[in-house]
Amino acid sequence: MPETIEIQLKKGVLALCVLALLSHADSYAYEIASRLTRDIDMGEGTIYPLMRRMQSDGLVETYLVESQSGPPRKYYRLTAAGRRSFEQQKTEWSTFSNAVNAIVGAAA
Amino acid sequence: MTRAEFITRLRRGLAGLPVTTIADIVADHEAHFADAQAAGRSEAETAAALGDPDRLAREMRAEAGLKQWEERKNPSNAMGAVLALLGLGALDVMFLLPLLMGVLGALFGILVAVVTIFVAGGFVFAAGPLTGPPGGPITAFLTGLGLMGVATCLGALLTLATVGVFNAVVWYARLHFRLLKPAMDQA
Repeated sequence: MPETIEIQLKKGVLALCVLALLSHADSYAYEIASRLTRDIDMGEGTIYPLMRRMQSDGLVETYLVESQSGPPRKYYRLTAAGRRSFEQQKTEWSTFSNAVNAIVGAAA
Repeated sequence: MTRAEFITRLRRGLAGLPVTTIADIVADHEAHFADAQAAGRSEAETAAALGDPDRLAREMRAEAGLKQWEERKNPSNAMGAVLALLGLGALDVMFLLPLLMGVLGALFGILVAVVTIFVAGGFVFAAGPLTGPPGGPITAFLTGLGLMGVATCLGALLTLATVGVFNAVVWYARLHFRLLKPAMDQA
């Protein structure tokens, strides 16, 4: 499976991406899923188990917003713990990716 | 696959979880189909993008099983978590089984030893004073009591070790299924 490493990388940063999107603005699952599908080619179905996990870990919480069409929509927002986790993971990510870039760039 | 088929299979896969949890998950996916339809996508397209409903259900059940084990560490929750993970194929059984059998075998051996010491202690405690032992009845009495105390203490340590082993298994499985397994299934 040649693309396994790429998919593993995506899996690893998926939670970080969701935290990052929610740090800009509250959002609902379909919107988050569409964005991640478009930009990093994630399976859409991945979003629901992930959101449930993040909710039970206390990183995000939900609230309902009335919509003009159909039933109320479930929005996600970061909790204080989610915000802390985002800041921490963001730092880890940039340290890690800078180091990898330096090594990969130097080898080229 | 149509929306109705997808939801039916998802619902079937989730059977056994609390009713409110199932309703919640189903509502999430219903909303997803509705949003996709509003964006002009067909039901078949959306279902394909969401992936295999059986697999999604297994993943969410496994997560629920792990959660329960973390909240309440008792044998039935441990069994539940391991079974859910086995269903997911997250535990690499071929790799883990020999190791796990060894560890569980050792734990069981220690359990037998602990029970034996306790019974022996009880015997010395009850029957020892009547047989005219070397140090007098009091010595036999206290020796028996001591043996039972040691057995109880070992039993407590054994329980801790067992919980530790299950935690390690859960940790391994979680790592495995979060990072590797879904990735392989998607590839």
